[in-house]
Amino acid sequence: MAEVPTAYYIALSGILFALGMIGVLTRRTAVMVFLSVELMLNAANLSLVAFARAWGDLVGQTAVFIVMTLAAAEVAIGLAIIVAIFRKRETTNVDDLASLKG
Amino acid sequence: MLTFLVLAVLTVAGGILTISARNAVHASLGLVGTLLMVAGIYATLNASFLAATQVIVYAGAVMVLFLFVIMLLDANRPVEEANPLPFVAPLAGVGGAILAGAFAILAFTYKDPRPLAESTAALANGAPGPVGETLLTRFLLPFEAVSILLLVAVVGSVALVQRPAVQADPEQTPELAALEGEVA
Repeated sequence: MAEVPTAYYIALSGILFALGMIGVLTRRTAVMVFLSVELMLNAANLSLVAFARAWGDLVGQTAVFIVMTLAAAEVAIGLAIIVAIFRKRETTNVDDLASLKG
Repeated sequence: MLTFLVLAVLTVAGGILTISARNAVHASLGLVGTLLMVAGIYATLNASFLAATQVIVYAGAVMVLFLFVIMLLDANRPVEEANPLPFVAPLAGVGGAILAGAFAILAFTYKDPRPLAESTAALANGAPGPVGETLLTRFLLPFEAVSILLLVAVVGSVALVQRPAVQADPEQTPELAALEGEVA
């Protein structure tokens, strides 16, 4: 079986990252912005795994494991912040949350 | 190659659904699809441990958390108010296209440092054993730092969603408080 060149994986990772960036900039609910950030994190992970294969080194895959843990922690804290803000403001629309005034 | 192309098309389709669906539940289901397809791509990249972790941690735990919060906050309704910054959407499209183009140039000028068949053999198929060995030797400090981070995340999220202590109301008579206690 012929191996798929690394370039294809990097291109796919770029498309996913661009989609995530468009999502972060255009979605107006805080939860949806978080979903788009997850998309960008996955794009980064994908290129790390692709480079791990290109270099024949497991360091890239191990780094992805660390990134996944970070992403899980980030989601837990981020969603807790969104819930706390929703309790106070009754909204998660990021346009209304532009000021940090309590 | 065919496997990769099918997985890649499904990944991008899930991503487009994620950022375009008007209902947040549909968007998160699109993201679940994307994450599962990325797990499949990890399997084609000889990262079997990461493929399993991706399904369990991302498509399982993280997405359950997301769906739970979307339903808890009733965030599945689209935002109805007029957009105060209408120029951002086309700008984001242009920026995304530029970014994807830059990545494409980067990708197709990249040369592998050595033949893929050779480096693939060195990966030991990304099995849990070799990955864990790297994690506990060369990545020991990040590993311990991440364990502290997880502890902080657990304590922090509990502290953030804690209800504020009910303050004593000076206007409230003891009878009213007792009545409220009964209702609660």
